[in-house]
Formats: sequence, C-alpha cells, structure tokens
Amino acid sequence: MQLTEDDLYRSSTQFRKWSFTAQQLHAQRQKTNLSATERVKANVARVRAQRAQQAADSDSISSGVDNCSGASTPNVVTSAVEVNCLTAEEELKIVNDFCERAIALGTHNNFPSPVVPTCIQYMRRFYLYNSPMTYHVNIILRTIMYLATKVELCTVGHINVGPFAEGAGRNVTTESILAPEYVIMQGLRYNLDVRHPFRGVKAGNMEMLEILHGKYQGPSQGLKAAEVQAQMLQIPMKVNGPAMKMPANKVEERIHQAYSTATQTLRNVAVLTDAYFLYTPSQIWLAAHLLADEPLTLFYLNLKVPPSHPTYPKLLTTLRNCATLISSHRLYVYNTLPQAEKDAREAIHQAEVKKLVQKLKNCRDPDKVDLVKLNQAQKRDAVEGGALEESKAKRRKVARETYENEADAFWGPELANKAE
Amino acid sequence: MTSSATADGGQDLAEQMNDAVREKFVMGGFLGEGTYAMVHKAHYRHDPSQVFAVKKIKLNAEYHNGIAPDAIREMQFLSELTHPNILKLIDVFSSKDQNLSFVLELAPRGDLEKLWKNKDITYTAADIKAWTNMLCQGIWFCHENFVLHRDIKGSNALIAADGTIKLADFGLARRFADPGTRMTTQMITRMYRPLELLYGCSHYGGTADMWSIGVVMAELVKRDWYLGSETDIQQVSVICEKFGTPTEETWPGVSALPYYVAPEKQNNMVGTTANRIARPRSWWRQEFMLLGDDGAEFIKGLLTLDPQKRFNSRRALEDKYWTNMPRPTKKENLPKEGGGEKAVGDDLKRKGGETPTNGRADKVARKLDFGAM
Ligand SMILES: Nc1ncnc2c1ncn2[C@@H]1O[C@H](COP(=O)(O)OP(=O)(O)O)[C@@H](O)[C@H]1O
Repeated sequence: MQLTEDDLYRSSTQFRKWSFTAQQLHAQRQKTNLSATERVKANVARVRAQRAQQAADSDSISSGVDNCSGASTPNVVTSAVEVNCLTAEEELKIVNDFCERAIALGTHNNFPSPVVPTCIQYMRRFYLYNSPMTYHVNIILRTIMYLATKVELCTVGHINVGPFAEGAGRNVTTESILAPEYVIMQGLRYNLDVRHPFRGVKAGNMEMLEILHGKYQGPSQGLKAAEVQAQMLQIPMKVNGPAMKMPANKVEERIHQAYSTATQTLRNVAVLTDAYFLYTPSQIWLAAHLLADEPLTLFYLNLKVPPSHPTYPKLLTTLRNCATLISSHRLYVYNTLPQAEKDAREAIHQAEVKKLVQKLKNCRDPDKVDLVKLNQAQKRDAVEGGALEESKAKRRKVARETYENEADAFWGPELANKAE
Repeated sequence: MTSSATADGGQDLAEQMNDAVREKFVMGGFLGEGTYAMVHKAHYRHDPSQVFAVKKIKLNAEYHNGIAPDAIREMQFLSELTHPNILKLIDVFSSKDQNLSFVLELAPRGDLEKLWKNKDITYTAADIKAWTNMLCQGIWFCHENFVLHRDIKGSNALIAADGTIKLADFGLARRFADPGTRMTTQMITRMYRPLELLYGCSHYGGTADMWSIGVVMAELVKRDWYLGSETDIQQVSVICEKFGTPTEETWPGVSALPYYVAPEKQNNMVGTTANRIARPRSWWRQEFMLLGDDGAEFIKGLLTLDPQKRFNSRRALEDKYWTNMPRPTKKENLPKEGGGEKAVGDDLKRKGGETPTNGRADKVARKLDFGAM
C-alpha cells in the first residue's frame, strides 16, 4: 500500500489552489494590476482633494506650519499630474527582482535550505493577487521571509522575531515585521505548504546510483537489474552522440555532477520562474536534470515510461517546455556568456529595475503605506467596535481617519507649493 | 468583487476573499474551549443543513512572535491531508480583530478518551478493532504524506456523527526530517511518548506515532490510563516496568542514547521489583486478553520498544488482525457517546444523511452484545 508521487501531489493545495495555465496566470496578473491601478488612482484623488480642502482651511486661518520638506519629497500626492501606474509586466519585473534579493538575503543570513525557496513561492503567490503598488515588495519580503522561517524551521519550535528584525536591516522593528502577517496570510489564502522539487531530485539521484550499482528494483521495461546497469555504462555523453563504454566510477561522477548542476538550477533559477505555478515538482526536477545531462535523464525517464507508451510524447513535450522556461531565464543564460557580455547585460537589467522601483515610489496606494499604523488601527477597530454593532461603522471611520492622517503626514506636508 | 476604493471600504482583493469566506458561515452555539482555542458550531449561510466546528484561535498575550506556530502547523498540514480519518480543514479566515478561525469538520460524538471514560457506554473487542483501524488508516495517510503527527492521544481522536474516527490537532505536526536533522524530543503528551524520545533520541520517525496509537488502544481495552506518570523520568520507569528495560540485545544502539539508563543502574523504579527482561508472548496475551491472541500480537507490534522493530503504519495496516474474526464493527454500528448527542442534537437532526437513526436503541443493543462476550 503506497501512494504515488502523483496521488500525493494531487491532494496538495499547491495543485488545487496554485496551479495554472500560462493564460490563467497572465489573466490574473492583468486583473490584479487593473484593480490596483483603479484603487491607487481613486485613493490618490481622494487624498489630493482632502489636502486641497485642508490647505484652503488652513489658508483661511493662516497657520503657517506646513513649510517643511514638501518640495524635496517627490510624490504622487503633491503633484497634480495623472498618476503613472505600473503595468502588470512592470509589477512582475519588480517582484522577480525582490525574489532574487530573497536569495541574497538567505545566503547572507545562512537560512537552512527550504526557507528561501518557500519564501520566494510565497512572494510569487502573494503578488498574484496583490500589487506592489498596494503592498510594497520591500516590506512584504521581510515578513514573508519571517513567515517562511516559521513554517520551515519547525525544529526550533518558534523563531523569535526580535533577532530576525535586527538581522533584517536598519530601522526594521519587530512591529514592522509582524504587522503585515495577516495581510500576507490572507493573500496566501492560508495555504502554507509548498511542494518543492528538491526531495524528488534527491530521490532520482539515489535511484540512478542504485541502477549503477546493480541494485535497482523499480520499473525497468522487463530488464534485469544487471542489464539496466550495463546499459547505463553506455549512455552517450551528448544527445545523438555515439554509445561508449564508460567505467563505473566515471558514470558515478557523472550522476553526481548532474545532480549537483540540477540542484543549483532548481535553487537559483527554477524558483525564480513561474515553474511552480505551471508544472508539478517531478516535472520541474526532471526538466532541470534534463538541462544538466540530457542523455542520462532520458535514459532514466525511458526506464520509468517507455517511449512506446501513448503518454510519452506529451510527457517529453511538457518536460522540454519546462526546461525552456528555466533555461531562458536571464540568470541561466548568463552561464553561457563570456564575463564581459554578462556584466554588460546585467548592468542594463539593473538600470531597468532601478527605474521601475523609482516609478513605484510615485504610484503607491496612499492608504497602505504604513502597515504598522494600519494594523494598529484595524486592531483598535475590532476591539472598540466589538461591543456595539451600530457604533462600529462610526468608530471604524474614526480609526481609519487616524491612520489616514498619519499616512498623509508620511506623504509630506500640505500642498503648500501647489497652492501657491 | 470590483474594486471601487470607496465601495469596498478600502479592502484589497485578498481581504475581500477572506471576508467572502467568513461570510459563508453563520456562527452557532458553543462547543468547547481548549488551551488555545474556543470552538463554536457553525453552518453554511446558503445551506444550514451543513454544519461545522469553527475553532477560533485565542490571542496569546504571552506570545510576541506573531501568528503562533501551532496555528501555522495546523494550517500547513491539515489543509494538505484529505482523508476520511483525518479531520478536514474546510476553510480558514481571520476576523477583524485578527484572530484566526479554522472551519473544521464537525465531530459531535466526543473523542476516544471521553468514550472509554463514559461508563454508560459498553463496547466490544470488535469495536476496539474498528476504532484502532481507523486511527491506523489516518496516521498511515499522514506518514505517506511525510507528516508526523506527534500528539496522538485519545482526546485527539474525535468521533464524527457517523462514528468515523477523525485524527485532529496537528499543532505539533511536522514533516519527516531529512536524515541528520535533529528534532525536539519534547513532543507527544508524556503518557503517549515512546521510549526513544524519553531517551533523548532526536531523529525519530513515524513509528513514534505508532507507539502512541498502541497506548490509545491499550486505554480502550483497560478503560483506564495505561502508562501514566508525573515526570519524564518516572515515565521511563513506568514503561520499563511494564515492558522490560531495553538492552543492546533487544534494541541495538539504545545504550548510545543520551538519557538511557542500563537495567543494572536503574534503581528508581516505581514498583517494588523492576522487570528487566522483555515480556514473553504469554504476558501480552494475558495483559490484552480482550483482544484475543492475534490482537495481543498486534498491540505488541505497536508497543515494541525498539522503534526499528515497531510496526510502521504500513505494516500495521497489513496485519492479519484486521481480517481475522471478529471483523471490525461497521461504523454505523459502533457504540456512541451520548453526551455529545444532547449538546448538538438539533444539528444532527438537520444533518440528514449522516445522522445515525438509532443512536439510543443501538446503545442498548451493544450492551447485550457485550454481555454475550
Ligand atoms: N471538530 C470539532 N467538532 C466538535 N467539537 C469540537 C471540535 N473540535 C473541538 N471541539 C470541542 O472543543 C473543545 C476544545 O477544542 P480543542 O481542539 O481541544 O482545543 P485545544 O487543542 O486548544 O485544547 C474540545 O474539547 C471539543 O469539545
């Protein structure tokens, strides 16, 4: 009695809630972007109107408190021009960049293995239904990383937020880490389990070694362990290359090398693509392995599913598509380029990202800038509003206005320069 | 769900999705209070005949690290595990005061601990076989999914309206560790904790859960606590006194575990004389006479000290005990907790299909059965 990989995967939330076709992904990102864009525009218009009103009021009583740093803060509220929002493609580029930063952050903090890949999938899932214009990637990334450590490092029991905040950078408070937790939980739809391809690639690696050592017991298309072993010693080095006899220790090296390359690809590239949304964990690891050593991977695959099997062509096409997705990622392509070319391309890429992050500064949703205050207001809301149903709405309004005012303060003082 | 910033009250898409989930349910009466949660009945707004238990996680003022790990684990694992013998997590939402609520399958018939404690209920060996089998199936599914439960006990084996056992409370669960990873040994309620954990072995596996199932099964047989004690050290004594102190011969590698005490050094036994050799088969048959010979063999497989030799969940399900006579009682014929019935009587009536039609008559019948044994 044993469940297959597929049985296990099909019951997972990753399959049930977070698997899409490329078209569905694209459509959802467009939808999220559209809805965020409308909100940003509406909220900015509201804040501008309020400021204009307040400016008018304060003019009439001529209180001249508002001449601070407004002019030096370029932001959307103080300007009269139409807000220039990010497109869905631009949002994705920003999210992608922060996923890359997550890898750097994880390396810097020495987080154990599944924390960073899980963090990255949380980021990608969260921003499928949320826009960076609403929730800034920088703030969300920290909390998501914290959440990923809580989920993946269960050995420790619990992870103290204090040291985590200290490690997360200057001016990062524990409150700023914890405040977005519920927003993120909602965005992840409370699905915290991520199915990675790492366990699978390890199992595949162990099986290949079993084959090599004549101990293989899995499906083998009627061949004996010794026959499969003999075939393995003759796998060509290159696709369509000549069969050649290799000594067992060389093949063992080859298997280790393929595993190591595939794992690197999975950790550093595949996680940064839409692969988890589009393919199953076994498809992803086989694709990465295919990129690392195609003849070896096909040999292994053909043992499991004979090329004569009706589903074989479709399976191979899926693997190749997944491999293409991975191998067309910027960072994978870099592996094939000379250093100078790579540096040149990376400089262009960084410049583009920088511009986008700058653009994001000018199209943020003014209601969601300070998540700590927002969170406090919501809690206060709930506590105060809990008692009396009718007074709830009123209290909420007061509470919301409180943080809106605080948000306004953050956005810089009144429209002094504009009113003049 | 269009996004007019004014009409949606400043809510983003995720908040709207959360609220949509919350709005699906109407809260009902109080079911119980646990250490970390308040549990209420609830039903679908669109279909009041479908009832649930909503577990609202209490805000822990002592805990300063955001959402508590217990809640995280329950969310992480329960939503992945869909199996008839695992309590289904139907939905999760958070309320305005940012408390998490879990919408769970309703299990209105109490739990296995309440059941053996309730002296109004009588049950047979075939009933114990049915309950234990459902527990084994539930844990087998967890283990196939690489999840360790780590808190199996009678009170975490809930009973659904139709008598099905539902494994609940995944607050201490975790994924199987990769080889070499250390896990904390302060897991599993002490009475159900296997010796390898008490000895400080930090890379245990699925068989740790199987020990706990063995203890639950023994409690069902004895209708009493089986391996109780006040401290971890006492617990070791209680286990060793019952089953014999393991040695390198009976459990290779045991002497290397951090808190292992060899039989000759063990002088803090609870009873008068320590039994230091493994128990013979005859002892098991005597101890669990109610289960019959094959049942005694089976529980011996669960309550084996060496975790390598103990039954894993797959092995347990393959045992001949299940197919031998008496066959496990069909779940519609299992004796049922009466108290829960009263508490949620109204819901049960409305539940239609899943309602046992003859709860009380059945109880009488079971009593007679038991007398005939
Ligand atoms: N799924 C459920 N169906 C019916 N009642 C339940 C359910 N879950 C819990 N309860 C009731 O709520 C009480 C407390 O829940 P519990 O899960 O034990 O909380 P905790 O784990 O925090 O102690 C239980 O004793 C039981 O009476």
